[in-house]
Amino acid sequence: MIAFILAGGFATRLWPLTEKRAKPLLPLGGKPLISLLVEKIPPEIPVVVSTNGAFAKLFETWEDTVPLSHRVRMLIETSEKEAQKMGALGALADWVSQERIDEDILLLTGDNYLGFSITHFLSTYKKGIPLLAAFDIKDPHRASSFGTVILEKDNPTHIAGFEEKPKEPKTTLVSTGCSVLPREILPVLMEFASAHPDNVGGLFEELLRRHIPVECFVFTQPWLDIGSFSSYLEAHRLVVGERVLLEPGADVDHAACSGSVTVGRGSKVENGSLHDCIIFEDCLIEDCVLRDCIVDDRCHLKGMDLTGKMLREGTVLERE
Amino acid sequence: MRFRLTLLLWLLSDLALFVGSYALAYFLRIGWIFSSVFPFGPYIAVAVIVAPLWLLTLISTRTFTLTRPQASTENAIGLVSACVVGVALFALTYFFLFDLFFSRLLLIIAFALSILLTALWHLIFERIARGILWKNPPAFPTLIVGVTRESMRLIELLAKTKNPLCPVAILDAQGTKEKEIHGIPVLGKLDKLEETLVGLRITHLIQCSDLEQSLNLLSACRTRKITYLLLPSVLGIVGRDERIESLEGRAVVMVRPEKGRYALTQ
Repeated sequence: MIAFILAGGFATRLWPLTEKRAKPLLPLGGKPLISLLVEKIPPEIPVVVSTNGAFAKLFETWEDTVPLSHRVRMLIETSEKEAQKMGALGALADWVSQERIDEDILLLTGDNYLGFSITHFLSTYKKGIPLLAAFDIKDPHRASSFGTVILEKDNPTHIAGFEEKPKEPKTTLVSTGCSVLPREILPVLMEFASAHPDNVGGLFEELLRRHIPVECFVFTQPWLDIGSFSSYLEAHRLVVGERVLLEPGADVDHAACSGSVTVGRGSKVENGSLHDCIIFEDCLIEDCVLRDCIVDDRCHLKGMDLTGKMLREGTVLERE
Repeated sequence: MRFRLTLLLWLLSDLALFVGSYALAYFLRIGWIFSSVFPFGPYIAVAVIVAPLWLLTLISTRTFTLTRPQASTENAIGLVSACVVGVALFALTYFFLFDLFFSRLLLIIAFALSILLTALWHLIFERIARGILWKNPPAFPTLIVGVTRESMRLIELLAKTKNPLCPVAILDAQGTKEKEIHGIPVLGKLDKLEETLVGLRITHLIQCSDLEQSLNLLSACRTRKITYLLLPSVLGIVGRDERIESLEGRAVVMVRPEKGRYALTQ
């Protein structure tokens, strides 16, 4: 089995945090999100990370930080802009074709936080039967933004139906960014990807349409698709918990911190207060009251009261 | 440069118009002759001295703001005020220089003419200036952020009135499916901000939605010396009864729905 991590998106909804870095490289609890994912993959499974040309160098730098116990290889797409990208499924199919892959694929999306054990997930995999991890999001409105999974009534591990982003979802069980694609279905993948290069969820619809059984792994542990400001903060609360995480070189001096707070490398917080905040690297925060804020690298804030803000790299806001 | 030349032309033409109004008032009152009893020379010299002061008063009323329509109540009030100051200064200056008062009717005629001719000229010049500034490439390429019904109406209005702020591109953080709005291309989401600001040489940015990005947009504008404008609807203010006021010297957006626009009460 080979793990294939999709990390080729441009994450335009998370602008400006993703202006100069890919979403899987966003820090979460002191390390990049993708590191949390890779660490969950059993070390004996080699990992291929598919990314775009724009963020290639950053991923290569990240690759150097991966423990030697994990075998990680980068696969760089040529696309430098969103309009040029070949699509997640397109990138997967291209890799399968180019490298003549003929083994099972553990397919993961690089911007998901998975609370469950991938080893446990893989232990439920039956050879030759596609397996999909699903989570009950318990909110029909939110479910309509994902692929929804309808289970068979008399066999709750079998998927009876799959609907990609339905307007009126029949279920709140949603597909997550974790699945196993057996080598037997790779021809279907190639065929489907040529027509729908950006529709990963659609592949499962296609399999069911062809009467190929698909199994479901339903988990209750936390799962977050980090696609927005709020989901990023939520994932941060989940990973960091009720504490202050100080990265090397970070300093908090006479500032009241509550909730989940991360202060990145070289950042300094003096006076004021922070609640549920992520401060990136080399920032200087003086006498500020920040609540639910994400502050990108090299920002300088003085005397500001901010709530629910995502500040762009290098922002200078000073109130005398 | 185009804007500065246009503005300079406007200011100079206004100076000439003020002096011309007073000259015309002289001939209308005295007759189409140069009177030896009330010589034209000293009279027009005073008008020339007062004209710059009148112009400064007019400038202080922000009449020359090209983004504001000339046919507005604010401009009318500003113009009348400046002309009152103009006629008062004229009478005082004439008295100080020549120790003389003269026909009150002449002053009334000069006052009325300075208002009428200036108002008429401003309406004409507005059309000329907007034509010059709107001409491709526009003098003020403007970026619209956010696709909402409010921004669509704004784009339509700016195009219809040929406002100097000429929308050239739209960005939308939510990733609208629209490709263009009233002929203005939607270039993508906010990740295209930098390349749009640089590539299209944006001079003004109007934020029409995505309140959570206001600080970042403002920061980008400050860095590139771009003028930032915010539609009040982004803050949920849609009644058209808002204005910027000063509270102990600090700017505040004030919404006072029930009182008159020029009410002095709190």
